[in-house]
Amino acid sequence: MTLARRTALLLLLTLAATVAGVPADEPYPSRPISLVAPFPPGGVADQTARPVAASMEKVLKSPVGVVNKTGAAGAVGMQFVATSKPDGYSLLLALSSISIIPEADKIFDRKPAFTVDQFEPIALISADPTILVVPANKPWKTAKEFIEDARKNPGRISYSSSGIYGTLHMAMELLSQAADIKLRHVPFSGGGPAVTAILGGHVDALASGPSVVLPHIKAGTLRALAGWGDKRIAALADVPTFKELGYPDAEFYIWAGVFAPRGTPEPVLAKLRETLKQVVADQEFKGAMDKLETPIVFKQGADFQKFFEADARRLAEGVRRVGRIETK
Amino acid sequence: MLETLQNLLLGFSVAFTPAVLLYAFVGCLIGTVVGVLPGIGPLAGISLLLPASFGLNATNAIVMLAGIYYGAMYGGSTTSILMRIPGEAASVITCIDGYAMARKGRAGAALAIAAVGSYFAGTVSVVLLMFLAPPLASFALRFGPPEYFALLLLGLLVLAYMSSGSMLKALAMAAFGLLLGMIGIDQMTGYFRFAYGVVELGDGIGVVPVAVGLFGLSEILATAGQEKPPEVLKPKLKELLPTRTEWRQSAMPIGRGTLLGFLIGIIPGSAHIISSFVSYAVERRFSKTPEEFGRGAVAGVAGPESANNAATSGAFVPMLALGVPSGPIPAVMLAAMMVHGVSPGPLLFRQQPELVWGFIASMYVGNVMLLVLNLPLVGLFVNLLRVPYPLLYPSIIAFCILGVYAVNGSVVDVWIMLVMGVVGYVLRKLEFETAPIVLGVILAPMLEMALRQSLAMSDGHYAIFLTRPIATTLLAVGAILVLLSLRPLITRGMDWRARLALAEKGEKG
Repeated sequence: MTLARRTALLLLLTLAATVAGVPADEPYPSRPISLVAPFPPGGVADQTARPVAASMEKVLKSPVGVVNKTGAAGAVGMQFVATSKPDGYSLLLALSSISIIPEADKIFDRKPAFTVDQFEPIALISADPTILVVPANKPWKTAKEFIEDARKNPGRISYSSSGIYGTLHMAMELLSQAADIKLRHVPFSGGGPAVTAILGGHVDALASGPSVVLPHIKAGTLRALAGWGDKRIAALADVPTFKELGYPDAEFYIWAGVFAPRGTPEPVLAKLRETLKQVVADQEFKGAMDKLETPIVFKQGADFQKFFEADARRLAEGVRRVGRIETK
Repeated sequence: MLETLQNLLLGFSVAFTPAVLLYAFVGCLIGTVVGVLPGIGPLAGISLLLPASFGLNATNAIVMLAGIYYGAMYGGSTTSILMRIPGEAASVITCIDGYAMARKGRAGAALAIAAVGSYFAGTVSVVLLMFLAPPLASFALRFGPPEYFALLLLGLLVLAYMSSGSMLKALAMAAFGLLLGMIGIDQMTGYFRFAYGVVELGDGIGVVPVAVGLFGLSEILATAGQEKPPEVLKPKLKELLPTRTEWRQSAMPIGRGTLLGFLIGIIPGSAHIISSFVSYAVERRFSKTPEEFGRGAVAGVAGPESANNAATSGAFVPMLALGVPSGPIPAVMLAAMMVHGVSPGPLLFRQQPELVWGFIASMYVGNVMLLVLNLPLVGLFVNLLRVPYPLLYPSIIAFCILGVYAVNGSVVDVWIMLVMGVVGYVLRKLEFETAPIVLGVILAPMLEMALRQSLAMSDGHYAIFLTRPIATTLLAVGAILVLLSLRPLITRGMDWRARLALAEKGEKG
C-alpha cells in the first residue's frame, strides 16, 4: 500500500514538475513538496529528512514527502535536485558529501554530475563532529601518543572508512594533513562495515560519528582519543578536541542541511527559511533528533553560507591532497 | 541454559501480546508478497516500509521488519519454481531445479518442500541464535577482508558443481559474469569503470535485474519462440504433495542447508545469497545422482531454500549481540532501532531484554505463521500454471518490469533487465547456461573489494592470507577441492561429469 502511495506521489510530483502550468502568483506551497534524500532509508540523510519533513508539513500545513533517490554515493539524488525546476517543490537534504563529489569529479577530469553553485543553501540542521576511536587493546591511550606513533612509523597505522573520498575518509585525511602524518587507508562500502572492521580488530583506527560508536566505547571495546569538533562532545566530556591539542585545521562535521536548486525565487526561499526556523524549534522534531543522538545545529543565511563555504574549502583541499589514487 | 529459558519465557510473554502477534503476521504477509513479486526483494521491501514503522513502538517495528526479511525467503521460491523468475536474489539457484521439477509436473512438491525446508531452517536457526549468539558474534567479527576473500574464492569453486554441461562453456559464462560485475565505481580509487557517463551505472549492475532478465525473461522469449505452444500444466490435487521418496531425498539437504546457511549468515557480507549457492554445490557433491541436478533434483531445491532461510537468522547474530550490521538489511533494522531511541550495541541483551527476547520469540511464532500461510498457498500458486500462456506471459513481463523498477526507481535497471533477457535468449539458443553469469555478477565486486582491502591492510603483502588461521584454513579447503577434482586425471576413473557426458551421448545416439 505504501509502495503504491509513494509511487503515486512520485508520479504526481514528476507530472506536476514537467507539465507545470503553474501561474506565477500562486501562493507557495500549493502542492506537495518533495524533500529528496540522496541515500537509502535508514542512513543519516534519511533519518534526518523524515522528522524535518514531518515538522515542515505541520508548519506549512501542506504535504512534504521524503523521496529516497539513491545511487553513486549520493550523486544521483543531488544531480536530480540540481537539475529540477527551481520552484521550491524539489528540495534536497544533503550531507557533507555535497562538497566532496564535484571535487572528486574534477580530479578524474570527468564532467561533474553537479556543482555546488547549482544549489541555494537554505539551512543547516545538524552538525555532528567525528571522533577518533581505536580498539581498546591497542597501546595508544591519548591522541598525542597516536600521532607520535604515526609519525615514527609512517603508513603503519591503518584505518577503515565509509569509502574513498567518503566523509569518514576525509575526516582522517584532514587530521593527517594537520598533524603531518601518514596513515594507511582501508576503504569499506559504508559506515556500518567500517565500524565492524574496527570491532574485529582488522584496522587500528576509525573516525566516526559519535552516536554509532558510543555504545562500544561504553562497553569498553573501543577507546575515544579526540574529536574533530570545535567543542567537546557532551557524552564524552573528557575526550579533548584536536583544536585543543593544537591542530585547528582538523575540524570536521558530519552535517545535514536543506538546499534548493539555484534560481528559486526569493519569496519562496524566505518562506522556506522561516519554516525551517520553526521546524528546529518544534518539540517533536527535537525529540526525534534526541533519539538519534544527533545535536541540532541550526544556521541559515550568511551564517550557513559561511559555514558551508569554509567546510567546502577544507574538503576541496583534502580531496586535492588525496588526489588521484594511482595503482602501482 | 536455565537463564536462556527464563529469558525465552519473557520473550514469549511479549511475542504473544496481540499487538506483537499482529505485526509479526503483517510482516510475514508483506514478506511473502515481496518475495513472490519478481525484482522486489527483502531490502527494497524493508526500505519502503521503514518510514511506516516509525509510528510503532520499537518491538513492534523490529518484529515486523524481521518478518518481512524471513518471509521474503519463503515467498522467493514461488516464482523461481513456477516461472523460473527469481523472486529475490537468494532464490536464483532455486530456479534451476525448482523450475525443472515444475516442468515435470512436480511444482506442488517443490513448493511444499521449499516451505517445509524454510520452516525447519527458520526454527532451528532461531534455536542456534538463542544459545550461541554471543560467542558466535565475536567469531563472526574475526572475518575481516582476508577471511571474506578466502570464503568467496571457495564460493567461486562452486561453479564446478553448477553446470551440468560443458565446463568450458560454464567458465566462459562465469568470466562474462565477472566482467559485468566490474562495471561501476572502483571502490578503492573512485574511478568510474565502464559507466560511459551514465551516473546510475556508478553503482554497478544489480543482481536482481540480471537474474530476472537472464532466467525469467529469456524463458518467456524461448517459450514464445517454440513452434507449438507448450502444454498448459493441469496439476491435480494429489500431485501437490511430495512423495515419500521426495521427502527422503530432502531430509538431509534441509539439515545440511540449515547448518551451512546459519554459519554463512553470521559472517558480515551479503551472505544469504552466497549461502544458497554454496548449499547447492554441497548437495551436488554429496548426491549419489549428481546427474539429476539441473533436471529437477529435489535436493537442489531443499538445500538452498533451507540455507537462505537459516542465513537470515544467522544475520541477526552480530546485529543483536554486538549491534553491528552483517549486511544491508540488518543495517536498516539497526537504523529502525535508533529511530525508536534504542541504541544498538553490545549491551543490548542486558539493556533491552524485552525487545531482544520478544524479537527472538516472535521468530518462532512467525515461522509457524509462514508455514501455515504458505502451504495452502501452494495449491493456489500452482493453479497459476493453468493460466493460458498468451495471458500469463505478458503479465509476468509487466510484473518483472514493475518489480525491477520499484527497487531503486531506476529506469536504467529496467533496461539492464531487458538487455539481459535478450542476451539470455541468445545464450540459451547456443546452449550456454546462464546461472554462472549471475554467480559472477554477485561475486565479482565482493571478491575484488575483499582482495584489495586485504592488500591495503597488509601494505601489498600476499602473506596476509597465510598468516591468519581462518583465511588459511578456508584456502586450504579450496586447494583440496581443486586437487580432488584433478583425481580422475591420475586414477583414470570417471567422475560424474564424464559419466554424465557419456550418458548424454547415449541419449542422443
